[in-house]
Amino acid sequence: MPENFRSVSAVWVGLVCLLFYSRLVRVGAAPICTNGQAGCHILSLADLFDRVIQHSARMHGISSDLHSEFEQYFFPSKNHIGRVNRICHTSTILTPNGKENAQRLAREELTEVILKLLVAWRDPLWHFQQSIAHHHDFNNFSSNKALEMSDMVHELRKGVEKVAEKMQMLGIISNSVNSLTSPEALIPSDRAEWRLMKDYVLLYCFRRDSNKVQNYLKILKCRIIPQHEC
Amino acid sequence: MAASSSSSILLLSLLISSLVCLSTPGSAFLMDGGHMTSSAPLEPHFTECISREQETFRCWWSAGSFQNLSSPGALRVFYLKKESPTSEWKECPEYIYSKRECFFDTNHTSIWITYCIQLRTQNNVTYFNEDDCFTVENIVRPDPPVALNWTLMNMSPSGLYYDVRVRWKPPPSADVTAGWMRVEYEVQFRGRNSTVWEALEVQGTTQQTIYGLRIGEEYEVRIRCRMMAFTKFGEFSDSVFIHVTEIPSKEITFPVTLALIFGIAGILILIVLIVISQHHRLMVILLPPIPAPKIKGIDPELLKKGKLDELNFILSGGGMGSLPSYAPDFYQDEPWVEFIEVDAEDADPGEKEDDQGSDTQRLLGLSQPVGQLTHIGCSHAISFPDDDSGRASCYDPDLPDQDALMLSAALLPGQPEEASLDVLERSPGPEIGERPIVHAQPQGPQTWVNTDFYAQVSDVMPSGGVVLSPGQQLRTQESTSATEEEMQKKGLENGDGEETEAKKEGKQKELQFQLLVVDPEGSGYTMESVARQISTPSSSSMPGEGYHTIPPQPIDTKPNQEAFLPPPTTTGEFQSPYIHPDSPQSQFLAPVSDYTVVQEVDCQHSLLLNPSPAPSPPPCLPQHPLKALPAMPVGYISPELLGNLSP
Repeated sequence: MPENFRSVSAVWVGLVCLLFYSRLVRVGAAPICTNGQAGCHILSLADLFDRVIQHSARMHGISSDLHSEFEQYFFPSKNHIGRVNRICHTSTILTPNGKENAQRLAREELTEVILKLLVAWRDPLWHFQQSIAHHHDFNNFSSNKALEMSDMVHELRKGVEKVAEKMQMLGIISNSVNSLTSPEALIPSDRAEWRLMKDYVLLYCFRRDSNKVQNYLKILKCRIIPQHEC
Repeated sequence: MAASSSSSILLLSLLISSLVCLSTPGSAFLMDGGHMTSSAPLEPHFTECISREQETFRCWWSAGSFQNLSSPGALRVFYLKKESPTSEWKECPEYIYSKRECFFDTNHTSIWITYCIQLRTQNNVTYFNEDDCFTVENIVRPDPPVALNWTLMNMSPSGLYYDVRVRWKPPPSADVTAGWMRVEYEVQFRGRNSTVWEALEVQGTTQQTIYGLRIGEEYEVRIRCRMMAFTKFGEFSDSVFIHVTEIPSKEITFPVTLALIFGIAGILILIVLIVISQHHRLMVILLPPIPAPKIKGIDPELLKKGKLDELNFILSGGGMGSLPSYAPDFYQDEPWVEFIEVDAEDADPGEKEDDQGSDTQRLLGLSQPVGQLTHIGCSHAISFPDDDSGRASCYDPDLPDQDALMLSAALLPGQPEEASLDVLERSPGPEIGERPIVHAQPQGPQTWVNTDFYAQVSDVMPSGGVVLSPGQQLRTQESTSATEEEMQKKGLENGDGEETEAKKEGKQKELQFQLLVVDPEGSGYTMESVARQISTPSSSSMPGEGYHTIPPQPIDTKPNQEAFLPPPTTTGEFQSPYIHPDSPQSQFLAPVSDYTVVQEVDCQHSLLLNPSPAPSPPPCLPQHPLKALPAMPVGYISPELLGNLSP
């Protein structure tokens, strides 16, 4: 009977949907943990910082490797400078240039700087990875690294945002950081500049900026969470 | 794509510029030991710029071949900090002329910003190299770590190698704690005698383990570090020396385990050797041999089926006489075999292991004579039990009732050997050996042992007499009744002739046995012992044992009546005429058999047991046939012949 069949199939579909929904709900429910909730593993701020710092260290390592590889095709400079005058598109972002400057900077501002840098590099790296993939001059190793790098920037940005959230939740920093996460507001004028950057310069700039991010994160952590290793 | 074309253009330009630069002498700053011709004058140039903690940096210059500029102050250092497009060259903030060094302190040091430095003379002659531009994080060479020390970890089981854990502290100048610098370390070590340094893996923790150092050898360890994800190592630290000598305490455990292992192995080998050497004895203990007929002096081949002729011949003393003691030993490889002695030697009846016919003694019942008779089911008695098990099962030490014994003896012709042996064996003398092999038709004085001491009562006469049938009928109806008859015939034939001979020969104290035909007189069925005579009058016959017969006849008077006389065997003579009808042996004298077939009945209704003309047929006298019988060789009436008796 078609009616019976339809009803049965509807029931089956409903059951399947219930199953999926329940699974989804379960997955979605897991990360929501309020303070003191039992059975929920809350990551401490120190753990979050450690993860983010590890992530940034890896990102910097990859960028350094890629930069060294690129230098083989060009004249290898002694100090990784090269002959071409490099102007990075992130030069407009004011970043502390020394240890004392970074330590003197406010926590919110330091977090802002980090986020700005990470946001600024999302698109250029994606495009760089695209161009690498289509270039037959570079081997798979380089293209894989480029892809990983672009993904890592994305992940790192999300991680730092979470750290900022956590810090705001804990009252360590004020709530002024969130408003800066939109990329449009950060670098409206630099969008065209990075398109002109060459791959090599891009790598050089990103290497520098990833080092900045790494250092800033470490300083931030040691200022907020003083530990024995800090 | 524009990007690809631009990159290719960039590549080309760089290549061209590199070619151009290679030719210029100012590239000495970049190329270490570059291909500079000695002829060209060496400009003043910078030798190196180094930062130790990423907070300050220094640059050293050299006047080159321009010695007039080597005086302090002749050359000036200018740097350009590319912070903005409008930045300009500034002079070195701090000079150290003694070292020809320009020091940039923290206020003048900025990280991630490109610095370019140049040399100027007083006359504003500028010596500048494009390659002298750098960023501070790229020129960082950290100071060597401090507080390098080592501790002994563990020794190898052999005591020849050991592991060492090396610890250190990060350089104090590097602000590792604030996270400003992340440092990774490289440990190098070498033996005292080698010139090559071995480098361990670069890693970021402040400790590392060195494995596999040899005892007694001195090692040198040093360490250096660099920034993570950067390439420039700092200076090496001062070397630390490692030297470990023998540690005797650890050696004690080593030989103990070895000794244990060797001891266990030795014990196992010993056990294996014992098993191998005592193989045969173990075989006997674990796997006792299966009893089989074994007669000493007789080839076991003969004991197999179908070879009774030879066996009979041998046993009856054929050829080489009775089984001589020098009979070939067929069982050399089985020393444990218990033999059935078929000779007339003395045999100890007690010992089970004795090969001298103890079985016979026991069977024949010298000590416990009739035990076996009661065990009807004992099949071992039929064969030659030469092992304990068989005998034991058939062995009943109790003396049963004589009458019962007689009855059983009478009723069990199927157990001729035992009963015969038991009953007939009168002589305690050991010369009577076993004659168990064959259930022989008693053929005369020699074969009384083999005869059926009991015959089956096949019929009872109305007058009260008993009709006996051949003893073998019980066991094998189909068996050699015919052979029996033949044997009996032969026996009869020979019996008359040799009867006397046998008697004459009689040296042994064998029992004589006699079976008479049914006594119609009413004496009936008695269990009287038959004429049981022992040649030596000393030994008295056992009264009740043995065979039941019809009224005994004086044997002496009527030798012919005797069914059979026990053969005066000399030594273990043996006759087995019963089974072999064709035995060519005339040994089957058995001139008298327990029972013979009545061949015919003469006119006087006397039974003619032997159709041969040798025994003169009795005159045709009108006698009672039964009465006439005593004059005939004793036999028996088989049921089919019974009809002949009727007058």
